Amino acid sequence: MISAGEDGRKYEIKLLVLAGLYLAAGAFAGYLWKGGDARSILVGASVPTLGFLLVSVLWQALKFRSDPFLLPVVAMLSYTGLIFLHRLNPFYAVRQFIWLIIGLFSLFLTTRLFTNYRRLSEYKYIYALMGALALITPIFLGVEQGGARSWLDFGYFHLQPSEFVKILVVLFLASFMSENKMVLAQDTEFFRGFNLPGPRAWGPLLGMWGISLLLLVFQRDLGAALIYFGTFLAMVYVATARMLYISMGVGLFMAGGALSYFLFDHVKLRVNIWLLNPYGFIELGDKTYNQAYQVIQSLFAIGAGGITGTGLGGGSPLFIPAVHTDFIFSAITEEMGLLGGIGIVLLYVFFIFRGLKLAIKARDDFSKLLAAGLTALMGLQAFTIIAGVTKLLPLTGVTLPFVSYGGSSLVANFIILGMLMKISHETRIHE
Amino acid sequence: MNDNIRKLGYIFLAIFTVLVLYLGYLSVVVGPTLATDPHNRRLAAAEEAITRGTIYDRRNVVLAEDKLVGGTRIRVYPRGRETAHLLGFVSQKYGRTGLESAFDSYLLAMDDAGRVRAFFSRLLGKKRYGYNVSLTIDSGLQGLALSMLGGRSGAVVAIDPKTGAVLAMVSSPTFDPGTIEEVVRSENVTKNGKTQEIKITRYDILKTQADSAPLLNRAARGLYPPGSTFKVITGAGVLEAGGQNAEPTVECKGSITVDGFVLKDTSVHGKVGLNEAVAVSCNSYFGELGLYLGEEGLKRSARSFGFELIDYGGKTGGAVNYPVVGAEIPYNPGTLPANRISATEVASTAIGQGRTLVSPLQMALVAAGIANGGVVMKPLVMDKVMDRSGSVNKKMSPVALHKAVSPETALALSTAMEEGVRRGTASQAVIPGIRVAGKTGSAQNPHGQTHAWFIGFAPADNPVIAVAVVVENAGGGGYVATPVAREIIREYLSK
Repeated sequence: MISAGEDGRKYEIKLLVLAGLYLAAGAFAGYLWKGGDARSILVGASVPTLGFLLVSVLWQALKFRSDPFLLPVVAMLSYTGLIFLHRLNPFYAVRQFIWLIIGLFSLFLTTRLFTNYRRLSEYKYIYALMGALALITPIFLGVEQGGARSWLDFGYFHLQPSEFVKILVVLFLASFMSENKMVLAQDTEFFRGFNLPGPRAWGPLLGMWGISLLLLVFQRDLGAALIYFGTFLAMVYVATARMLYISMGVGLFMAGGALSYFLFDHVKLRVNIWLLNPYGFIELGDKTYNQAYQVIQSLFAIGAGGITGTGLGGGSPLFIPAVHTDFIFSAITEEMGLLGGIGIVLLYVFFIFRGLKLAIKARDDFSKLLAAGLTALMGLQAFTIIAGVTKLLPLTGVTLPFVSYGGSSLVANFIILGMLMKISHETRIHE
Repeated sequence: MNDNIRKLGYIFLAIFTVLVLYLGYLSVVVGPTLATDPHNRRLAAAEEAITRGTIYDRRNVVLAEDKLVGGTRIRVYPRGRETAHLLGFVSQKYGRTGLESAFDSYLLAMDDAGRVRAFFSRLLGKKRYGYNVSLTIDSGLQGLALSMLGGRSGAVVAIDPKTGAVLAMVSSPTFDPGTIEEVVRSENVTKNGKTQEIKITRYDILKTQADSAPLLNRAARGLYPPGSTFKVITGAGVLEAGGQNAEPTVECKGSITVDGFVLKDTSVHGKVGLNEAVAVSCNSYFGELGLYLGEEGLKRSARSFGFELIDYGGKTGGAVNYPVVGAEIPYNPGTLPANRISATEVASTAIGQGRTLVSPLQMALVAAGIANGGVVMKPLVMDKVMDRSGSVNKKMSPVALHKAVSPETALALSTAMEEGVRRGTASQAVIPGIRVAGKTGSAQNPHGQTHAWFIGFAPADNPVIAVAVVVENAGGGGYVATPVAREIIREYLSK
C-alpha cells in the first residue's frame, strides 16, 4: 500500500517520468507526420515534463505530503491536450503551452498560499458576492463566443469568469453546508405532520437553482448551468444523504430544462439534434443536417476511429468545427480509437477516485465537503462534455478539463488541483 | 459523511461505465454506418489516398474498377447500363449511391485492419488498395434481363431461394454510370441582368426525366400494384388457417358481388379447387377466399411474407415516410393500408387490386419463400470480400428473414403454381425437361394498359432460382412478363 509520507513523492516522480515519455512519443510522432521546427518541438515536449517534475521535486523539498497520483493523471491529460492541439493547429499548442506553465505556477502557488484554508469558511458571503459579480459582469460587458455570452475581452486574451466562479461556488457551498449541516438534515413540521426541511435549507437550494437559470438565460451557458447545479446536488447529498433534496433538485432542474426548451430556441435546437437517429443521417434534409453539422461531424470522427484509431495525423478531425475546444475528445477518439477514448475516460475516473478518497480521509466536514465538491465538479464537467460530443446527452459547450484549449479553464483546473492537494496534505501530516 | 462520499463515488462509477459502454456501442455498432454515410467528407478524403476496390460478379467478371486514364484515376463500369442501378456510382458532384455507397467500408478498406495497414503504408509511403468485393450477381443474367425488357420500363429480380443470394437485379430504363458527369451542352441563362453559362451534364438531364425516372432502381424501390400475383398470398393464408385438408372449393359463376360491387372474372370457371384456381387465376375463387379469411387473416398472411401495414393518408401511392427495409440493397416492402378496410376492399385486395403496393424484390421474395419450403431468406448480394492477395476477409452468411408458411403449405402452393405453368395462364414459362412453377398478374393502374407480372421458380422439386418480372403498361402477364422470366430461368439452369 502506497500511503502518506515522503515516499509518495518518489512514486509521483517515477510516474511523471513515464508521462514525460508519453509526451515525448507524441511529440516525435507529431514531428514525423507534420514536420516543423525541430527545436521548438523539443522545447514543447521537454519543458512541460520538466515543469511537472520541478513542482514535484519542490514539494518533496518542502515536505509536502499530499496524494502522489493526482499530479501524474493531470500530466497525462495535459500532455494529451498538447499533443492533439499541436496536431490540430500548432498556434493553439503554443498558447496552451504558455497557459500550462502559468497553470503549473498557479498550482504551486495554491499549495503554498492556501494555508489555514479552514478559516476561509468564515468569509463565505464574500465569495457569494464575488461570484455573483463575476458572473453578472459578462452579461453587461461580455463578448459572445460559441453562442455563450460568458467572456470578458482583455485584448490579448479572453477570460471566462465562470471558470473561476465555479471554485468560489464550491467554497461557498462547503462553508454553508458544513455550518448548517444539522439544520439541513433536520425536519421541521411543515404542514400538519408533513415533515419537510425548513426555509434555511430551502434558501440556498432555490438560490443555486436561480443562479443556474441565470446562467442559462442570460449567458446562454447551458453547460455551466448543468455543472453548477450537478455539483450542488452532489454536495447536498454528501452533507445530508437525503434523497428528498436530490429528487427535488432533479425535479426543479428538469422543470427549468423543460421550460427553457419551450422558451429558448437554442435549447430547443440542441435537444432536437440530440434526438436524431444516427442510423437516419442519410435521410436528413439539408436544413437539419446543417443545424446538426457539428455533432454529426463529431460522430463521424468517432466512427472513423474504430477500435484502434487512425493513428496520430491519420484522421480528418479538422472537419469538426471548434475541434480544439469542446470537441477535442472526438479528435482523440478518431486518431487513438475507442481504446484511446476509453483511456481518457479512465484517467478521469481515476482522478475522481483519488479525489473522493482524499475527501473521505479529510479530518473535518469543511475539508470533506470542499474536496468532494471540487472532485464532483471536475468529474461532472468531463462527463458532460464527453457525453455531449458523443450525443449521449444534448450538447452543452464546456471544456474537457486539462485537455481542451483554453487558458481560463486550464488555470482554474490547476487551482482546483492545488486545493485538493492541500487538503490531502493537511490530512496526511496529522496521520 | 464518508458513506455518502463513497456512494457519490459509486454514482460516478456508474455514469462513467454507461459512458464507456455507449462509446463502445457508438464505435463498434453504429461506426460502420457513420463511416459510409454519404454526408461523411472522409469518404472523399479516403478516395484520394487509396485505389478503390474492384467489384466482381459471381464468375469473377469485373463490374467496376479504378483505371488510370491520362494520369487521372477514374471509375469504370464495363457492364455500364446493365448494372447501373445495382452498383450505383461515386461522384464528387452527385453523391454516392447503390452498392458503391453501401460497400464503401470494404472498397475503401475502412475496417480496423485496414486502418492499421493505412498507418504503416503512410509511414512507408506505400500505395494503398481497398478490398475487392465479389457479388452473387450473374452478369450474364443481368445482360439477358435488360435485353429481354427490350427498352420497356420495368424490372427483373432473380434470387437463389435457398440462400437469398441475388442473382440478377435489373431496372429499365437505365443509364450509363460512367458518363453522368459529362457535359452535354451549355446554356446561357440571364439572371438579374447578368448572363451566365450553365453546363448541363448527363446527370442533370436524367434527373429531369420525371416520367421515366431512369435513375430510380425500380427493382428495389419501384411501387406497383401486384395484380394476380398476390393470389398466392391469399392462398397461403387460407391453407395456413384451415390446414391442407380443408382445401376449399368454390363455384365460380363468372363474378362475385360484395356489398353491391361486382368483381368480374374472365370466364365462368365452374367448380374450382386451389390448383385449378391458381392455374386459371380465378377472381371469384380468391375473392371468396379473401372474404373467408377476412381483413385480419389477409393482412396476417401478407405480413408473414414481409409486408408492412402503413397509413396511406388517403393516397394510393407515394405516401410520406414510406417504409424501407435496411439491407445491402435497401428495398421497399409490400404495403397494405393500416386502417380498417371495407369488405369490398378485402375481396379486391385478395385478388391483387385495392391499394396494395409492392416492389419487384418483395414479390421475388414471396416466390423464393414458397420455393424454400416457406422460409424467406434475407436478400444478400455480397458473396465475399477479399484483399489484394485474394485472402477472404468476409463471406456471405445466409439469414432467414421470415418464416412465412409451413412446408406443407409451401408444397401445396408450389404444386398449384406448377399447374399454372403446365396448363394455365403461365404456360409461356414452359421449358422442356424442367418443372417450372409460376403465377402471372396483370395489374390495373391509372396510367394505361395493365402492368405485366410474373413470379415463379424452378425446378419445382429442387428450386435454385426464383424470379419476379414486371413490365410497365405492357399488357397481360402471361404473354409479356412470362417469356422474360422463362429465358432467365433457362439461361441460369443451362450453366
